[in-house]
Amino acid sequence: MDTKLHFDINGIKDCQRNRHPLLFVDRIFDVIPGKTASGVKCFSYNEWFFPAHFDDEPNVPGFIQVESLVQTFIMSFLSKEELRGKKTNFLGINNVKFKRKIVPGETLTIHATLETFRRGIAIGSAVSFVGDEPACSADFVVAVPDVLDQFKPKVVA
Amino acid sequence: MSNFEKYQSIIKESFSYAGDVEELEYQAIAEWDSVGHMQLMAALEDAFSIELDVDDIIEFSSFKKGITILAKYNVVI
Repeated sequence: MDTKLHFDINGIKDCQRNRHPLLFVDRIFDVIPGKTASGVKCFSYNEWFFPAHFDDEPNVPGFIQVESLVQTFIMSFLSKEELRGKKTNFLGINNVKFKRKIVPGETLTIHATLETFRRGIAIGSAVSFVGDEPACSADFVVAVPDVLDQFKPKVVA
Repeated sequence: MSNFEKYQSIIKESFSYAGDVEELEYQAIAEWDSVGHMQLMAALEDAFSIELDVDDIIEFSSFKKGITILAKYNVVI
């Protein structure tokens, strides 16, 4: 049986390089390195984006929802000892779906699955919920450049 | 479909490339960059049911070089 790992905010910062104001996950739980990760993001009105999006109807911008999903997704592989602290880059985002508005005071719970991790390229997906209600989902292709670069062909000048 | 046709087809599909693949080399087209290279390696591994060694992935720098490398895995192009 796989042992599940849990990360508080300091543990998350040990694994991934995102930082305030672009680190969106508060807690990561039920991580099976190389397979799955779940995360939580609590949205209070203190978030920097609510006054701007929008002043009369504050709600979470779509790009922040997607970034929250991918920050949970990357924990499915950056939780592995040999990958901790490495930077990641987006290669692709597909099938993004938004099901519901997220407003101040709500908590987003995210579940991510890693399908494959080969030579620095991770492929997988994440879904999120507010309570039992689906909020957002997406498929991701993410690179770990430090790993990817080890497999680049030699170029003869 | 022969292995040669299969090999050509995988490269064309991996890079969405309709030109002459036989003269193709790493970085000769924008699509054959480091990311495209990993996608090509994964596609070849899946298609020929092989697992390429790191050294062979690094040496795989052209269509022609790939034929030599695949032969090491008993994939005769």
